[in-house]
Amino acid sequence: MALTGIEIYKLLPKTNCKECGFPTCLAFAMKVAAKAVEISLCPDLSEEAKQALEAAARPPIRLVTIGAGERKVEVGNEVVMFRHEKTFYHPPGLMFRVNDTAAPEEIAKLVEEVASYSVERVGMQLELDGFAIDNKSGDAAAFANCAELVESKTDLPLVLMSSDPACMSAALEKVATGKPLLYAANKDNSDKMVELALKYGCPLAVYASDGLSELAELTEKVSEGGVEDIVIDPGARDFAQSLTTLTQLRRLALRKSFRPLGYPIITFPGEAAASAEEEALLAGQQIAKYAGIIVLDRFSPSVAYPLLTLRLNIYIDPQKPIQMTPGVYQIGAPKETSPLCVTTNFSLTYFSVAGELESSAWASWLLVCDTEGLSVLTSWAAGKFDAEKIAKSVKEFDVAKNISHRSLVLLGKVAVLRGELEEELPDWKIMVGPLEAMDIGGYLKQHWTA
Amino acid sequence: MAAVEMPVEKWTGKVHEVRLGGEGRKSIVVGGETTLPFLHFEGSIPNRIAVAVEVQDQEPSDWATSLVSAWGDVLRDPGAWAKKAAEFGADIIVLRLRSAHPEERNTGAAEAKAAVDKVLSAVDLPVIVLGPEVAEKDNEVLVAASEVARGSRVALGNCMEKNYRTIAATAIADGHVVIAKTPIEINLAKQLNILISDIGVPVDAILMDPTTGALGYGLEYSYSMMERLHLAALQGDAMTAMPMVCTVGEEAWRQKEARVAEGVPASWGDHEQRSLLWEEFTAISLINSGADIVVLRHPKAVEVVKATIDRLMSQV
Amino acid sequence: MSRFIAASAIRGSHYIVDKAEKMLQDALEKLGPDKPIVFVDKEGAGTAYYFPTIYGYLGHKIETLGDMPPVIEQCKKLLSPVPNEHLWLPYLGETADAGVATFFAEELIKGIEFAKGEQPEVHKGYQFNGPISDAQTRSWGIKLVDGSMPGFAAIIGAAKSNEVAVKIVRELQSKGQLIFLSSMSNGRSVVDQLLEEGVELGYGTFTVPYGTDTESTVYAAGFAARAAFSFGNVAPGDFRRMLLYNKFRCFAFALVLGPMDDLKWATGAGAITYGFPAVCDTLVPQILPIGITKYEHVVSMPFDDIPGRDDLERAERLVEKCIEIRGIKIIIPKVPIPVAFGPAFKGEVVRRADLQTEFGSPKGNPCFEWLTMKGMDEIDDGQIAVVGPDLDDFEAGSNVPLGIVVEVAGRKMQKDFEPVLERQIHHFCNEAEGLQHQGQRDITWLRLSKRAFDSGFRLRHIGDIIHTNLHNMFGAIVDKVQVTLYTELDKVSQLIEQAREVYRERNARIAGLIDEAVDTFYSCTLCQSFAPTHVCVINPERVGLCGAYSWLDCRAAFEINPTGPNQPVLKGRCIDPEKDEWEGVNQFVYEHSQGSVDRFTIYSLMDAPMTTCGYCECVMIIIPEANGVMVVSRDDPSDTPSGMKFTTLMASVGGGRQNPGMMGHGKIYVVSDKFISVEGGLRRVVWMSKNLKEEFGDQINAKVEQEHGIPNFLDMVADGTIATTVDELLPFLEQKGHPALTMEPLI
Repeated sequence: MALTGIEIYKLLPKTNCKECGFPTCLAFAMKVAAKAVEISLCPDLSEEAKQALEAAARPPIRLVTIGAGERKVEVGNEVVMFRHEKTFYHPPGLMFRVNDTAAPEEIAKLVEEVASYSVERVGMQLELDGFAIDNKSGDAAAFANCAELVESKTDLPLVLMSSDPACMSAALEKVATGKPLLYAANKDNSDKMVELALKYGCPLAVYASDGLSELAELTEKVSEGGVEDIVIDPGARDFAQSLTTLTQLRRLALRKSFRPLGYPIITFPGEAAASAEEEALLAGQQIAKYAGIIVLDRFSPSVAYPLLTLRLNIYIDPQKPIQMTPGVYQIGAPKETSPLCVTTNFSLTYFSVAGELESSAWASWLLVCDTEGLSVLTSWAAGKFDAEKIAKSVKEFDVAKNISHRSLVLLGKVAVLRGELEEELPDWKIMVGPLEAMDIGGYLKQHWTA
Repeated sequence: MAAVEMPVEKWTGKVHEVRLGGEGRKSIVVGGETTLPFLHFEGSIPNRIAVAVEVQDQEPSDWATSLVSAWGDVLRDPGAWAKKAAEFGADIIVLRLRSAHPEERNTGAAEAKAAVDKVLSAVDLPVIVLGPEVAEKDNEVLVAASEVARGSRVALGNCMEKNYRTIAATAIADGHVVIAKTPIEINLAKQLNILISDIGVPVDAILMDPTTGALGYGLEYSYSMMERLHLAALQGDAMTAMPMVCTVGEEAWRQKEARVAEGVPASWGDHEQRSLLWEEFTAISLINSGADIVVLRHPKAVEVVKATIDRLMSQV
Repeated sequence: MSRFIAASAIRGSHYIVDKAEKMLQDALEKLGPDKPIVFVDKEGAGTAYYFPTIYGYLGHKIETLGDMPPVIEQCKKLLSPVPNEHLWLPYLGETADAGVATFFAEELIKGIEFAKGEQPEVHKGYQFNGPISDAQTRSWGIKLVDGSMPGFAAIIGAAKSNEVAVKIVRELQSKGQLIFLSSMSNGRSVVDQLLEEGVELGYGTFTVPYGTDTESTVYAAGFAARAAFSFGNVAPGDFRRMLLYNKFRCFAFALVLGPMDDLKWATGAGAITYGFPAVCDTLVPQILPIGITKYEHVVSMPFDDIPGRDDLERAERLVEKCIEIRGIKIIIPKVPIPVAFGPAFKGEVVRRADLQTEFGSPKGNPCFEWLTMKGMDEIDDGQIAVVGPDLDDFEAGSNVPLGIVVEVAGRKMQKDFEPVLERQIHHFCNEAEGLQHQGQRDITWLRLSKRAFDSGFRLRHIGDIIHTNLHNMFGAIVDKVQVTLYTELDKVSQLIEQAREVYRERNARIAGLIDEAVDTFYSCTLCQSFAPTHVCVINPERVGLCGAYSWLDCRAAFEINPTGPNQPVLKGRCIDPEKDEWEGVNQFVYEHSQGSVDRFTIYSLMDAPMTTCGYCECVMIIIPEANGVMVVSRDDPSDTPSGMKFTTLMASVGGGRQNPGMMGHGKIYVVSDKFISVEGGLRRVVWMSKNLKEEFGDQINAKVEQEHGIPNFLDMVADGTIATTVDELLPFLEQKGHPALTMEPLI
């Protein structure tokens, strides 16, 4: 049973020492209760309190870091089954498989393409996360060389895939400083793999495909061996199997607090797919349904872009909607006589307005004001979308420079701003647009004359 | 080490089953789930998720070239179009009476009747008829459509807060199903379902469209709203337990990523594949969050989504 | 049930069943049992539902004369002896049965007439319509279900004069009613009257002449039965469901003009059994209690006794009464004013240069608005009066006194809804182009632009705006609206005092509205779109945490929109009186939070407090070091001793989770008597946002002084200008001797 902020506070030293980074013990306790920070940040915790708190506050799914440096990937520490219950915190890492049997030029090319891939969406740069080097050859030297080659080309995190501890050891000698994920310990090699993981301080994947009991048994063994940073692979590959198994794993961790399976999950959607499309769709399902690391076999920008977009969609905090960057947006190719509309920077508002303008073929200017991501009515009610704010944005983004007219269409149910806005912008004609985005096209057709 | 005990949720509710078609044409039943999507181990998913294909009553003027070329000449004739859609594997034909929109040709009841009749006689699949989504026009053309389709148990959409009464009334009179559409909000969805039931539409004749957001354009809102509606239904709320319809093709193909081939960043990649994936990702994500019918546009997407549904429907 | 009515109706039923039987015998002899019969209208369009009334009740299909005799037998079983003059019984069952038998017999008679080729009737060369076809039933049925045609009226007999007949029909048409015409009185039929006056009849004008005999009234029942088959999914023979459908869904009534006779009473009994009430324009015994029909059964309004200047006005009143007793809600499609109306004009400002007339203003003449509830018979819907000079009498730019008195009546109206509706006047007025409204009650301030004046806007149009919008938006609780506008200073000054008395009473009522006095709280789940597990429970002494919804608002909202986000929460059994924990509340919250919150106390901050959506006016959180709580307002950007600003606190408390020690609330809650009463109330407050101290200072000081004898309490409470950390706060509290420091420990 999770502790409330007050219960946690009672166990804290109540010194308000600020060492944890929070101004008061209470503020810290509230954050711990929300599972947003670890209790270990408190320097003066009594042993007794520590035990009580750690037991209660330990995340049901362990947070595991793969890689080192800026581009390391953190996965796990999820607290809900459904994103609407709170949010999904750690987006799964999208890694690409490199076979050690491939020609070096081919490898270099793929690494170059993946590592440099970047696409912009709602003001964010979306990127891919790393490489999984597969010891297809079964040869230690080939594996090590391949790992070394990849590492020389990128600082993205790596997964080392080999069930042979000797091969794994050879590769680790070359690339261990990057803290790669070792894939994988199985029932036959786990002692050796644990040894390697401990020796190099790397996270270790555990693989067992004969049922979750066997998997749990193995993770307990690995954990008893001293490795805490575990990633699990239950061997589920196809759509239905993946959905079922990953759902069961998430439920066991969250609903049953079942520690032996409270780890992030690694998946290989390419292994059950006959085409890039199928692989992408399965990866998409795994983004939404509970994967931590997704290893893909096929790279192309036309697959990467929708996958990254989906990941952004699913992992956005539902209580903190995506914000558009405030400014003037061009819809189509607007001219100086094109309409100027104004709305908020709540992404959904922006999308519906922009979508309607676009599909009704009105090339136009869309002024997006900073309302901290709130929708029109909410931001208006909160005083974040008022005449002053709009007037300020009109000046700040020098809206006038693009257009020959001085008419501004207010969208949404904020006609009440008109009077004040006329005072704030005396040279402008303030027009009150439709209440719903879907009526914009018709409204402009009827009223726009510039 | 104890054996791992699988957590199984005991749901008390069930999604209503809704039948379309019949009486001399193929019939299809959607809904009936007693668990979350495809969790076969804890409940039953008695009916396959259906793939519907959108047909319009006039040649679309704003469709992406890849869509247009995938269909070819049939786009000029709703009957031929529907027939081709059936060949491509559609489970249901969705006829969008787009020409009735005041900004299109503002056609009326007579044209609507003709278009519905064409589609009904061209294929023996179940049919959904959608108006132009302008309240007064919807009332006009859907009432007409309802009359022609009497006996074919079609779904009429959309019943919205503004005009649900007329469409609900006509559906009752002619024995059809209605689609209740609300803007991504659980309480509004539930409220409209209650209002439509109050008028006398039985619960096995209501589908709901909680409004689809395409990938990158509000998908997450639809995704979560549908998960919530589905969960509420499983927890026993009969007024959120209507099977869900998602207009995936329409929303996905409105977006720049699907429509535009030229002048976009290189990182968007190959247009053909990207546009297809845009539609397919939206479809699969919403199927995984509880959709019972997805309405698609591209024939290739129909094939891929159907194949994926097959794989999801197979018991593990 | 009146014995008189029972006796007449039963007599009438005997007569008509006897007549049907004789006609049937005769027809069987002449035409034979195989003679087919189909009901068709004058165009030959028919029905697939046989004899719809009989089919609806019995599920019995009549296709030939030979199918009829069993129905005659059924009729006879329904007949009972005419009541003895000296025996008083309820008679309700007998009369209802007589009504059913009458409908059967009347429909059989019509059928026999069809068999004989005598239907639809031709009378004095005029071709009557006869029964309505299925196609027309479907088309009108949709309108009846979707509300665009609010109901139908069966006019039986003839009006006092042609003029009155025309007026009645026009009034009904203007209210969107479908009209059926039948029967005669004193040898005249309303159809004759309308034809003489050149009124067009037929499907196209929604006015259908059935026939000149009373029997043809049964076509209206056949129409209603088919509507129930088509739109109510009622199976033929399932008469119970058919009657329920007609009572609750089919807004029909009979308007009986002229003297009654036994057959009319018997037919009326049939109509009442169908759920259709009757209004008579002659003196007859009334059946007022509610039962079979939704409201009264039989209402008598002797025409010449109806108040009114002339017969036309009396006709208008008569129709109004019909609409009222059937519970028909009228929607007025367009606000009848000479300027544009819509949300687009809400923010419009009327500047001095454009000003035609100004009412009120802080320095100007008095101006007020006062909405008050009246009895249904005390006011006339739509009456708008201007008492005193109108706009033309004032010079442009003048400031003028104005009193807006709105009287409303409604069967579901309650005194407590007065302020809720009164506040809407502001929103309504602002939607008119060129009219600007500010303030409320006795600080109302209106401005009207020259352009609006030039377009023809006059004072009565304010009345029109209020009348139309109250009907359209609050039709669920409002049936009648009457508006009077006063512009004479004397009168306004006198009325404003009366209004102030009412405002004071309302304030006292709200102040006196305590949690203990009610058994129902209200929920608000408006915010579940982004906080899916959050449920606001709103009690009289705590507003919703956004500050926008009081208990009264929620109650009105529920009446207006029974399926909306404000639902009644029955308190149920009390679990803990001190914390105010209730079984009913817990259950409601559990069900509506998707099972995530199972306990909920009304008065405690520390034990199971209310969850927060993410949009509250204030956040309250304990300051353990000070053994107290702090309250920070949304409008306060200051740091606080909790170590968190409002926005951070909001993020921690929001999202529908329960956080003991922390809670969102509406700002007015700080002056509630139930303010965290479990934790000791206002004395616990050690820090409060400056804007709250300013806004509620006097009230808070008065309360703490009265309850705890501590004067100037707020001087002991810190704010952002005094302390933004615990280290600054504690010495301040010590120095002031804040009571919280010595209170029972919070934790």
